Amino acid sequence: MRNAFIAALVACSVASIGAQDRQTTPVKGTYKVPRTPDGRPDLQGYWTNLTYTPFERPKELANKPLYSEQEAIDAFNKAVADSQNQVVHYVNTDFAATPVQTGAKPNRRTSLVIDPADGRVPPLTPDAQKREAARLAADRPAPLARTWRDDRGTVWCVFHDRSVPSLMAPYGSNYHIVQSRDWVVLEYEWNSEHRLIPLDGRPHGPSSVRTYAGDARGHWEGDTLVVETINFNEKRNFFGSPGTFTLVDRFTRVAGDTIMHTYTVEDSSTWTRPWTVELPMHRINGPMLEYACNENNADAFTTLRNARAQEAGKLPPPDRTKNVDDAKATILEREDKK
Amino acid sequence: MKGFLGVGSWKLEVIVMAIGLLVAVFPRPGEGQAYKAPRTASGQPDLNGFWQALNTAHWDLEAHEAAPGPVLQLGAAYAVPPGPGVVMDGPIPYRVDALAMKKKYAADALREDAEVKCYLPGVPRMMYMPYPVQIVQSDSTIMMMSEFASALRTIYMNSTTRPPADTWMGWSNGKWDGDTLVIDSQGFMGSTVGALDQEGTIHVRFLDRAGNYHTDGLHVVERIRRTGPDHLLYQATIEDPNVYTRPWTISMPLYRRLEPNMQLGEFKCEEFVGDLVFGKYQRK
Repeated sequence: MRNAFIAALVACSVASIGAQDRQTTPVKGTYKVPRTPDGRPDLQGYWTNLTYTPFERPKELANKPLYSEQEAIDAFNKAVADSQNQVVHYVNTDFAATPVQTGAKPNRRTSLVIDPADGRVPPLTPDAQKREAARLAADRPAPLARTWRDDRGTVWCVFHDRSVPSLMAPYGSNYHIVQSRDWVVLEYEWNSEHRLIPLDGRPHGPSSVRTYAGDARGHWEGDTLVVETINFNEKRNFFGSPGTFTLVDRFTRVAGDTIMHTYTVEDSSTWTRPWTVELPMHRINGPMLEYACNENNADAFTTLRNARAQEAGKLPPPDRTKNVDDAKATILEREDKK
Repeated sequence: MKGFLGVGSWKLEVIVMAIGLLVAVFPRPGEGQAYKAPRTASGQPDLNGFWQALNTAHWDLEAHEAAPGPVLQLGAAYAVPPGPGVVMDGPIPYRVDALAMKKKYAADALREDAEVKCYLPGVPRMMYMPYPVQIVQSDSTIMMMSEFASALRTIYMNSTTRPPADTWMGWSNGKWDGDTLVIDSQGFMGSTVGALDQEGTIHVRFLDRAGNYHTDGLHVVERIRRTGPDHLLYQATIEDPNVYTRPWTISMPLYRRLEPNMQLGEFKCEEFVGDLVFGKYQRK
């Protein structure tokens, strides 16, 4: 797994080369979307949705949905600087995984949630609040992992939740899109998750078949790829919805280097209203390498083996997370040794 | 002494019959050439669709008799069906030492075979597993996806890039040779030797459930072309100097899955093997 991680980051760094000098967004309305030989809007290539815009709008920006251009650049630069100061178990700059190295761009939005107007996920319905409270009470993590299921964060390779609906990730936020006349493949770097989207007008599959990635159906509306996805399984939990939400993605090329990606999620049994996210995708160079997670999953093996050793008193308990200064000191110490 | 066909000695007849069998099993290079593949909008032969092998190559690439399966409790449900084999120029030309290793790995197949652990199956194995393969074809890139373990391979057309790193599915460069897609693949992960989990180590990568195997020395050249509206001819030449004395070739048709609602199902088999792979480190 660690090898795969490094491979993925190598791909990241390859991807970043030349990303800086791409054309900038032209004046709205003058851009003509390129076409595939089939005459469809061409979304193909490598893209990233890495961003430093917060998912929900911070309280202090409650009445400010948009930055000015200069404010957006300043906020971006500050986020870049902060990202290099964080506690990380990988050193982002070493792996070319910082926002400037990987094609992320300043965004005038102050949150990725653009609807409701306050830029925040709408409240849960009263029933959903009870359901979530019960789930969280039952789901309290054990101090030491009991089985491979216990650490969905790092040792769980079954499905990568950020792939659909798209969520921001600290790195690996890269996509490879390939189109034929009747299908679109949206490959996401984490776990090499890929959404296979038919465009031939077929109806959704039966609701008795529910999956992690859901059942996607796409069609073109003008220059926009619209994808409706339903039948997620109950093992998903998306902001309180146990896989019962409907997702509608919209992908539109708005510039040579940008796909505007928005999506709306709706689940009346969970949220008081539908809500919408805008997560721009910026062009990067490929390739994007395989992310083999389950193959020789050293994280799961080590976590479980160490947990058993700790229970048996043969290994001291895990370290508390190091604070920022410790982490930086570790990095500097290593740099000194070079 | 004349053979029962009455055309010559029995030895000659065996040879004639063997050639006849080979011709019957393996389409000759010219066969199906008359079929002109439909084109994509940009004029390439159109390989889009869902394809699947209908044979027992996933059990054993070579000719084999029926046999009991590896798990007693599964009885006939997981027994090995017989098959005529898909190796054109067999038997597989193992080095003497490698053949001994094959027998050793085959005897330990339930632990050694990465299919059991839901690892990415690699090439060419992905193409003849008992799961559909979807091809999505654009001018510069062809994606091939198996239902098994959500395996995906990216074929970079007209690329000469060398593999940037070893991967489970390898690095594939493709080009068109007339109507035939020729894919050159290398850069394969050969084992998990050296990993922390020594008991879980796989030492080689299986090409089938019989223990035919390759290492990180694998180099595969595949030739794929349409032979009809619903058929592909799939051939792969397999080379690995760590294991074989010469390159050898498998050949089989792949059949189109015609169901109108055909799509790859979600087969996230990691979920089915976690307890198997990590069982001894889990709390009961």
